[in-house]
Amino acid sequence: MLRQSLTKVLNGAQLSPKHIALITRSASDQAAKKPEKIEVFIDDIPVQVEPGTTVLQAAALVGVEIPRFCYHERLAVAGNCRMCLVEVEKSPKPVAACAMPVMKGWRIKTDSELTKKAREGIMEFLLVNHPLDCPICDQGGECDLQDQSMAFGSDRSRFTDIDHSGKRAVEDKDIGPLIKTIMTRCIHCTRCIRFASEVAGVDDLGTTGRGNDMQVGTYVEKMFLSELSGNIIDLCPVGALTSKPYSFTARPWEIRKIDSIDVLDAVGSNIVVSTRTGEVMRIMPRVNEEINEEWLPDKSRFSYDGLKRQRLVTPMLRDSKGELKPVDWEVALLTVAKQIKNAGSSIGAIAGGLADAEVLVAVKDLLNRVGSEALCTEHTFPLDGSGTDLRSSYLLNNKIAGAEEADFVLLIGTNPRLEAPLLNSRLRKGYVHNELDVALIGPKVDLRYKYAHLGDSPSILQQLVSGQHEVSKKLKSAKKPLIIVGSEVLERVDGGAILSAVQKLSASTSPEVENWKVLNVLHKVASQVAALDIGYTPGVDKIRELNPKVLLLLGADEASIEKSDLPNDGFIIYLGHHGDHGAAVADAILPGAAYTEKQATYVNTEGRAQQTLVAVSPPGRAREDWKIIRALSEIVGATLPYDNLNEIRDRLDEVAPHLTRYGAAENANFFKQAEALSKSIKTQIDNTPFDVKLKELQDYYMTDSISRASPTMAKCVQAVLKQKQSKY
Amino acid sequence: MAQVARDGLKQVRPILSLDRDEARKRVLNLYKAWYRQLPYIVRQYDIPKNVNDCRNKLREEFTKHKDIRDIRIIDMLVIKGQMELKETVNIWKQKGHIMSYFKETIEPKPTDFLSKFLTSKD
Amino acid sequence: MASILLKARHLRQCCVHLKGAPGISSTAVLQGDAPLISTDLSLLKPEEIEHRKKLQGYITVEGPTNTSLISGVPEEQVKTRTVRIYEPPKNCMQSGTNNIGHWEIDFDTKERWENPLMGWSSTGDPLSNLKIQFSNKEEAIEYCEQNGWKYFVQESKLEKRFKPKSYGVNFSWNKRTRVSTK
Repeated sequence: MLRQSLTKVLNGAQLSPKHIALITRSASDQAAKKPEKIEVFIDDIPVQVEPGTTVLQAAALVGVEIPRFCYHERLAVAGNCRMCLVEVEKSPKPVAACAMPVMKGWRIKTDSELTKKAREGIMEFLLVNHPLDCPICDQGGECDLQDQSMAFGSDRSRFTDIDHSGKRAVEDKDIGPLIKTIMTRCIHCTRCIRFASEVAGVDDLGTTGRGNDMQVGTYVEKMFLSELSGNIIDLCPVGALTSKPYSFTARPWEIRKIDSIDVLDAVGSNIVVSTRTGEVMRIMPRVNEEINEEWLPDKSRFSYDGLKRQRLVTPMLRDSKGELKPVDWEVALLTVAKQIKNAGSSIGAIAGGLADAEVLVAVKDLLNRVGSEALCTEHTFPLDGSGTDLRSSYLLNNKIAGAEEADFVLLIGTNPRLEAPLLNSRLRKGYVHNELDVALIGPKVDLRYKYAHLGDSPSILQQLVSGQHEVSKKLKSAKKPLIIVGSEVLERVDGGAILSAVQKLSASTSPEVENWKVLNVLHKVASQVAALDIGYTPGVDKIRELNPKVLLLLGADEASIEKSDLPNDGFIIYLGHHGDHGAAVADAILPGAAYTEKQATYVNTEGRAQQTLVAVSPPGRAREDWKIIRALSEIVGATLPYDNLNEIRDRLDEVAPHLTRYGAAENANFFKQAEALSKSIKTQIDNTPFDVKLKELQDYYMTDSISRASPTMAKCVQAVLKQKQSKY
Repeated sequence: MAQVARDGLKQVRPILSLDRDEARKRVLNLYKAWYRQLPYIVRQYDIPKNVNDCRNKLREEFTKHKDIRDIRIIDMLVIKGQMELKETVNIWKQKGHIMSYFKETIEPKPTDFLSKFLTSKD
Repeated sequence: MASILLKARHLRQCCVHLKGAPGISSTAVLQGDAPLISTDLSLLKPEEIEHRKKLQGYITVEGPTNTSLISGVPEEQVKTRTVRIYEPPKNCMQSGTNNIGHWEIDFDTKERWENPLMGWSSTGDPLSNLKIQFSNKEEAIEYCEQNGWKYFVQESKLEKRFKPKSYGVNFSWNKRTRVSTK
């Protein structure tokens, strides 16, 4: 029988083009070194798969989806929910598709009587101990258990316990201010446990008890101390783990979903913003295999309530008493324009961490038109050597997805766990699955995987460059080495010398893979790469030198410059969305839009341009940032030549074409030239130890004006501090 | 946001006309029908316009679409124009409907950037 | 608008009826009765019949098709709106994939507010609920071009490297994949 169908396949009978492509591809693979592929039949559709492929994966290849609860493609196989049972011909029992590797010639029946009966039985057992509280459950409407009981469950119940004697009930756990637990709903799929121990690296969750008494929990009452904790809400196939801030606020069928980009770190995770009645209800991850897979860190996921608080909703001017008073746009623009006209070319601008590429280019055009070049970013970067002229010196050149393939990673002056949690999760993935070794120069921080701590002294870096350190050999012999430098350590006075040393060190390695890029810079804020691409000067020193009469703050909230740095009659304009440090020192406030309220371009630390979309409209009289600059330019008398988004995007394209190639990360390749230029650097590395600002988890939650305004993030800090005092 | 305009010839199903000459004939017929009807319209609807104004407006309405090359679209516009004519002749319309050819009743929105910026969010 | 479409369709249907010999109903012939003469056809001139026949065929038109003039969509809604063409993402809460894998269009978001009386969501945007599914992006692009809307295509990065899953790695004694927690 088997032989017959094989000949059928070889004759090409009844094959869709998709399968032919699969088979031809497998043939060419065989020519290389790949082990021979084996053929199996899913519902009589033949498919060629690699040996070791599970039944469930083989079925997915031909587009047959087998129902599952415990199986998740990004987690280890657990095989405990039994929902994926399928019939295999000539096998006496149904097999668990998620854990069983296929054998040659297997005929798998995913839609047979036996399979259906197995599924129905599993559903019945799961529902016996699952409460019937779907109408008040936050998962209702997007619940796997609901979906699958509709599709595969029985149409009637045999549950006759009208005395309520036997239904299981489990006490709820308190695992922090982000995750609400209703443990009675738990079906013990253990996805959360596996996520915690594999991806987050926090081995706190586990099961206790057996059979009907089994419970998922932390054993002792404990907060789930992870920066990635929110993902277990998505993973939970039922409503056992739900979002605390989102609880009882909206239903999945009444919200609108808008795809967007996260800007609270420099990774640029893809997100889906859920809105209802012009309000952001929640933020969830969107799959992007090259950036965030399907995870999202807690700050990006939960700080959306900061978008509703401390907002600047109307233009304001400081009156004679020194108080900020709300005014109309006309008045605000006229006053600001008058100040700009009076200042002439004595005007500067500082771009903060949340500024988008459109407003950056509009401000640059405006300032250039009035004769000023004083455009700075709040976060500095060394300018000696090649400085910011060559993109390769300030990008995460090997890309985020490349991090998991590395075999040796040297981290210098960075804490990726808190600066870019998803880069850290990639490193951890490499650590677990790829035997990746990590070494760190900098303060000893908790990365949730083992690494070699080389110390925090810059002299170690020098030893490595000269090849005298014990790790040098390992770095040189590594096939896929990576060096990741934190942007913070480059902000030091001797940043140029450090970057030059790192460039020398990366040049001394010998990666064996083509296009493998050793030197990587990890930024902390979303706007930095775009600002450097457009031609902003990193650091505010230029502003201090110039001492401008008018200073424009583009959401610059890190208090990098004080009023005392300006002349006495200096005028500060704040263009941004939150009343934070910048707005407090400003003489005029022009309310802008936050990242959920504008269609804007951001470039992440890899140099990948991505755009946010409008999810809700800006509150009150706030306007999109670049439009404010455009309106201002008309009143100043230096009208900018773009009236709509398409026109300003054309201008972006003129300045730097990669800024409008959304989704693509252009490679930067001038490492040799950058290294050659760096030889001219005269400064020496001084001996202050490397330091990072974000050391412990409590430092992670509030780092920018949005997360500082978020009550949820404040609760997280409190909870982490409280947990630190607890004896567990 | 690059958009490539796709020109070239296409084979499509016709609606009323088989070629441009025929479509042109239909348009002219419609134009003449309106033209003849104008004096009656002015009288019956009692609008503050004279026949000459209406003729200018009629010409304007037709020349607005002078650049259309697709025969099917011309046909559809002719059908719509016939419907309008019928509604007008049968007094299914009212005075305001006729006058709306001359002036939109809604306030015109600002078109320059600054006034758009000051009045609304979009 | 709808009535026009109906009218146009009706016209076409009329033509369909006229396929056989002009004016003679084919069923009547089969039954052997005297042939029924359809009145609307028998009065036509030969060239008119020819014209009707030709309407069954194809004609050649030039230039891009732009139906925005006859679609009834207000000019303002055609010129100022931007369409996003995208693949809807999988809801990360659910494992099912049956409702994804196609392309969709939607429009830029305009202001929305909560109705003060009932708490419903209100908007002044007539196109906010227009979501159309397409099987591929070319169809979506063609649709937007036909309607005269500006558009952009949002590509998703969904390509994933295939790696066989293994239950055994949970218990490997010398690998970091060994599971510590149950």
